[in-house]
Order: sequence, then C-alpha cells, then structure tokens
Amino acid sequence: MDQHQLKNNRYWNWLPAAFALAGVIVFIFATFGPPASSSGFVSTLKGALSNVVPDYVQSKVHYRIIPGPGSWLFTFILGMAIGGFIGGRTLKRSITDVPSLWRRRFGDSQITRYTATFLGGFLILFASRLAGGCTLGLFISGSTQLALSGLYFGVLIFGFAMLTARLIYGKEEK
Amino acid sequence: MIDKLLLGLFSGIAFGFVIQRSGATDPDRMTRSHLMIDANIPQFMLATVALSAVGLFGLQTAGIGHTVILPISLVATGLAAAIFGIGWGLCGYCPGTTWAAVGEGRLDAVFALVGGMAGAAVFAHLHERLIPLLYDPTNMGRLTVPDLIGNHFLALVIVLFIICIIIYLIGRIWKNDSTTD
Repeated sequence: MDQHQLKNNRYWNWLPAAFALAGVIVFIFATFGPPASSSGFVSTLKGALSNVVPDYVQSKVHYRIIPGPGSWLFTFILGMAIGGFIGGRTLKRSITDVPSLWRRRFGDSQITRYTATFLGGFLILFASRLAGGCTLGLFISGSTQLALSGLYFGVLIFGFAMLTARLIYGKEEK
Repeated sequence: MIDKLLLGLFSGIAFGFVIQRSGATDPDRMTRSHLMIDANIPQFMLATVALSAVGLFGLQTAGIGHTVILPISLVATGLAAAIFGIGWGLCGYCPGTTWAAVGEGRLDAVFALVGGMAGAAVFAHLHERLIPLLYDPTNMGRLTVPDLIGNHFLALVIVLFIICIIIYLIGRIWKNDSTTD
C-alpha cells in the first residue's frame, strides 16, 4: 500500500482548481441559477417514492417544492457521479474504502466505516434540508451571491466539522 | 426542457470532474483539512467562492444569469450548520462530493449516499412540523451584504478582501504536510 502511494498522481493545487470550479459555477449561474446538490437527493427520492406511495408524496410540502427527476437538479447530481467516474478513471491514484486516517483510529473494519458514513450522510442531508442547502447550495452559492445565510452557514459548518474531527481523531501529528 | 436536462448533466460532469481532481472527494483529505494539517481544500473552497463572486458580478453587470438568495434563520440555519458540521467531520463527505465519490468507486461513499437519502426522507417527513418550529420564528429574510452596506460593488470588495485574508491565514496556520503526496 505504501509503495503504491509513492506512485500516486497528485491532485490539482487549490488555485488552479478554484479557477476551474469557479468557471463551472459562473457557467451554471448564467445558464440555470445557483447550483445546488442536496436538493438532488430530494428529487431522486421524489421520483422513487412517487411510484410507491404517490399520495404521500403529494401530501408533503418538501416534495412539492422540489422538482422530481425530470429536472436540472437531478441531471446535475447524476452528472456529478459521471464526472467523478471520469476523474477517477483518468487519474492514477489508489482509492480505499476505509481511509487511512480512519483506519489508524478505528481499525480496518469496513462495517464500522460504512456505519459511520451512513450516519454522517444522514446528518448532512437532514441538516441541509433544514437550512435549505448544503456546502454547494447554501455556502458556495449563497456566499457567491453575498448572502448572509451562506456566509453564516459556511463559518459554522467549518467550525463544527473541525471540532468534530478533533474529538474523533484526537490531535494528529502527521 | 431537454436542453435544461442536458445543461444540468454537462454542468454536473464538469463539476464532478473538478472536485475529484481537487481532492475534495477524498475523505482522508477532507479529514486532514478539518484537522488543520492540509490547507488545500479550505483554500480551494474559499478561492472558488471569491472567483465565482467576481464572475457573477460580471454576469449581473452584463444583465445575464439568475440568482436566488436563501433566507437566513438564526436558529434553523445555525442549528443545521452544527448538525451538518458534525456529520461532515464524522464522514468526510458533503452532499455533492458523495455523488462524485460514488462515481469514483468509493464504497464508503455509497453508504454516505444511502444515509443521505434516509436523512432527506426523514426531514421531508418532518418539514411541516420543524419549519414553523425552528425556521420561521428567527427568519430574518433574504439578507445580503449589499443590503447592509448599501453598495453592491463595495460589498463585493469587502467580502473578497476578508476571504483573501482567511485564505492567507489558513496557509499560515494549517500545517500543510501533504503537499508532497
């Protein structure tokens, strides 16, 4: 594993990466509006649940205010998965299902890691839907529009994530 | 209609590719950012905001584009940010990076995605109860920095200046030992 990592390709540095992503975001503002990704989860759910319990979906405000799978929001998150796929295929870099910092702290049990990411995923989506957006839809989109909601959310998510990581992983020296 | 869907798909592919290349889909990298031993991701996110804000200002000057300002609710937005931060610190994924990381082939991201679906479904079920309770009482409306300052351009300059200072400080304070890998 370790000699494998020496051959890993490097990720892009933050500044060229920021120019690239800002280009994509400005394109999205010009052709659609503020980009968002947590709403895409609701779109997917709406599509899935409409086949099973259509009356329930009709009765809930949250599904009424977010469009279903026939929408920009849905094709955008689908595209994100495709973009991640293309990125992964074209970058020589090993990936692990249990990240190395996690393994050092909790061992290499996949069950433990998957339980934690399930719980983490639950929390970030529950919270995003309460706030009306996530890292992209509220922090990045909001702050780009100089909205107080986005700046306020951004400061707090970084603060709480840093605190949580500190508590979970302890003080990491390397 | 089909144009909109194709635009969304194209935008998503470009977005997913760039966040994969920046390392944001790597939960190990994200955790290192939170532990203040890798400065790249927070600097990347902040620089993206700054550059996008300049680009959006350009669009607005040219009369193009579409903006939607989300309201700020002191309690709901703050509480949501706290819950979000705990989840983000725990798993190293945020909603957007989850999709790109699944595409990249990370199995732990698949569980984050399924957990996210469950979290969104639970919130959607409780929306009618939680929004009047947590969101509405302290909803201060769709406020922006230009609303406070009274001048759009000046507000942009101030926000950009503050972001640049934070990017500089992150570069100084974070240990950044992973620029070699």
